[in-house]
Amino acid sequence: MAHVSVPMYWRTIPQRYKMVGQKCKKCGHVNFPPKGVCKYCSASSDFEEVKLSGLGKVHTFVLISAGGAPPEFAEQEKAGGQYPVAIVELAEGPKVIGQVADVDPKSIAIGMPVKTELRRIYSEEGVIRYGFKFVPAEGK
Amino acid sequence: MKRVALVGAGQSRYGDFPDKGIKELFLEAYKDMVVSVDRGYDPKMVESAYIGNLGSGGFQLGNMSALVSEYVGLPHINTMRIENACASGGYALVAAIMDVMSGAHKVAIAGGVEKMTDVSGTKQKYWLGVSGDTEYERLAGTTFAGLYALIAQRHMHEFGTKREHLSMVAVKNHKNGAQNPKAQFQREITLEQAMKGPIVAAPLNLFDCCSTTDGASAVLVVDAEMAKQFTDTPVYVAGFGTSSDYLAIHDRVSTVTLEGSKKASSRAYEMAGLGPKDMQVAEVHDCFTIAELLAYEDLGFCEKGRSGQFLEEGHTQLGGDKPINPSGGLKSKGHPIGSTGTGQAYEMFNQLRGTVQRPTRQVKGAEIGLIHNVGGSGGTVSVTILRR
Amino acid sequence: MPIGISGYAAYIPKFRIKKEEYAKAWGSFAAAGVAEKSVMGFDEDVLTSAAKVAKRGLESVPLAPEKVSRFALASTSAPYVEKLLSGTVLVSVGIPGTAFCSDHTSSTRAGTEAMIAALEHMMASSSGRAVVVAADAPSASMWDTIEHPMGAGAASFVLSNEDLIAEVEAYACFASEYLGERFKPKDEETLHDLNVKKYEEGSLLANTIKSGNAILKMLNRKPEDYQHVVIQQPDARVPSTVAARMGITDAQLASGLVVKSVGDLGAASTLVGLAAVLDAAKVGDKILVISYGSGAASDALSLKVMSDRKSPFKVQAELERKEYIDYVKYLKIKGAIV
Repeated sequence: MAHVSVPMYWRTIPQRYKMVGQKCKKCGHVNFPPKGVCKYCSASSDFEEVKLSGLGKVHTFVLISAGGAPPEFAEQEKAGGQYPVAIVELAEGPKVIGQVADVDPKSIAIGMPVKTELRRIYSEEGVIRYGFKFVPAEGK
Repeated sequence: MKRVALVGAGQSRYGDFPDKGIKELFLEAYKDMVVSVDRGYDPKMVESAYIGNLGSGGFQLGNMSALVSEYVGLPHINTMRIENACASGGYALVAAIMDVMSGAHKVAIAGGVEKMTDVSGTKQKYWLGVSGDTEYERLAGTTFAGLYALIAQRHMHEFGTKREHLSMVAVKNHKNGAQNPKAQFQREITLEQAMKGPIVAAPLNLFDCCSTTDGASAVLVVDAEMAKQFTDTPVYVAGFGTSSDYLAIHDRVSTVTLEGSKKASSRAYEMAGLGPKDMQVAEVHDCFTIAELLAYEDLGFCEKGRSGQFLEEGHTQLGGDKPINPSGGLKSKGHPIGSTGTGQAYEMFNQLRGTVQRPTRQVKGAEIGLIHNVGGSGGTVSVTILRR
Repeated sequence: MPIGISGYAAYIPKFRIKKEEYAKAWGSFAAAGVAEKSVMGFDEDVLTSAAKVAKRGLESVPLAPEKVSRFALASTSAPYVEKLLSGTVLVSVGIPGTAFCSDHTSSTRAGTEAMIAALEHMMASSSGRAVVVAADAPSASMWDTIEHPMGAGAASFVLSNEDLIAEVEAYACFASEYLGERFKPKDEETLHDLNVKKYEEGSLLANTIKSGNAILKMLNRKPEDYQHVVIQQPDARVPSTVAARMGITDAQLASGLVVKSVGDLGAASTLVGLAAVLDAAKVGDKILVISYGSGAASDALSLKVMSDRKSPFKVQAELERKEYIDYVKYLKIKGAIV
């Protein structure tokens, strides 16, 4: 089982539930997920919180089968078959990894527009961890 | 700063050994190293031991380096565990080199050991996913197979790399590994078999992924000025370089480059006063077949994006002009995480001295070789250039 | 000042299972009038559905989540028996922590219970804005016939004192003690239903007729004054049973009868039915909603349609977006194969 403690998971709720990113006050780039020092200019720890739209495009993807699934996702794979995971380039600039839900795995393509939605990620110690997954977005 | 030489190297068999734990595995490698020192030496000369190890077989969380050191008769030395995921061994070697280079010590062991097969499948998969970014990559539902598949997918999209190219890496490395008595898998596979393997993380299938393995290795690192006390044919450290990178692939500027490999190798080349063209043989980190293709590019053996063609043209076969992974690589030889880097050093030590166990694997006349060890999906990379 | 619905939305998960799949597995399908029903995905639950439908509801006005002062969430199948449920949805949607939030569980009447609770807030502070969400996916043992009709769905409503799509004219309630109907004891995993048919029907009628008639009396109306009537739908027979006793026709039930396509939506049953009615209703139409929860209680609401503004997230569109699954996949997703 993965081990992410409850407090560690809780600290990421602004990102997982609300797509809160950090805009560097020095260079203006958005860091998501957060970094201690801006990853673009490496010069500042001064950030302004910004709520990202959750919109993005698929940069690359993988279809995970049973052999490639971490144990906490094994049941999901057995119940629903292969699941897609993508690195998505968000509209505001940063790229982030996330599972893609509500989609036919065969239809995923690089460049496909997606948006975030709250889903169950997994459960550990009886505590359900919720967070964003990507679902297909219309148009754009 | 001092010049550094390798004067001995040993490796255990790599495989699945219920009767051996980390102590027993390390002992096997240590004894193999001792007999490889042509003139013999007094074990009491060893002052340091840097042991690469990730999981300690799941049981010994702290002080494992003291444990294995005293087990092989070295109870009171400067010993430390080095952990940089799958690059632990490569970094243990660099640590030993820096120790001797600095003049702090004259004789050091760089080794590695990993016991992966005595824990449940579930626990194994835990290991295989926690050297990437756990919070996001792991919780998105990927293990390393998934992460390297993301890279492969993008590489195919950007450069037209084909499914066949990935499988050709597996075929080549199995062909080499079949000639390596210490390899985990000593069986050739056909291209058709490699292409049709069950999907693990599309596009990667079973034959694109290295296995879990038990194993250990150890090399003897000494001040070059005393090398001839040990052997007439020492192998010198020409240069080394290391680099880290963003842990999560999505944080990197390019998804199809391991910046860590580029920077580590350029630092090594600069220290050695050499370039990619000078490398006559290389052991690279093929945890997944795509990783070997990336290595061709990021180590400068071919242009970015051209690794598929480079492989197709036969350069990296045994007998080609740039033989890569004559040992069978991680794919065929196995990947006992902490040992892999020093295991590469063991292979290179023998290649450069002409003492490879099976002459059919011997790269004839090789004098300069490069070893390349990657941690996880590239979070850490270590490159060492060795020469006669 | 009239208070009512200024925005609404529905969400039905896309998986469907047909009654024929059940018939193949069990020999028959024990859910009167249900042709197929909806199923949530493996990584969904009532909280993720609630977050999704709440955002849709706010978008349909549109209303910024920061302006919401009251949040009421209803479900009988929340993933925790003890743990604040609203918190997950509030934070995900962006509703302020200072908004009074309430969790409504314990029976399928919870949807209208949440609606009435929010209405009470609006009556006390009409400058407030309330969001009501009912999201439910009831489940039972695969061996029990009560499991057969159980589906999944959610609806949300934004309550306001301006830009009303429909005004809530009045509400009435009736509660009583009817033990041993549909119930789940604290330490047990599965839902019970003792199947004492006449007794259960007695409870159903006793409570719904009382709340329904109370509304009619309050507003001095007759059943035929209502163009649309939404009654609790554990299957398609129950609303007809209640309607017959109250002088309501099947034609009045038609626009809100979602159960035939989605199954028993528990606490979300009447609210998804209401959303379907609002999608179809005309200005001036009157709507009567009668819920029922075992144990037992019934709420009745009377609404009048004020504008022809519709939600961009229509029930019909949700019904048309579907992917069929077989019974084995259904069992795997619902965790019924242990």
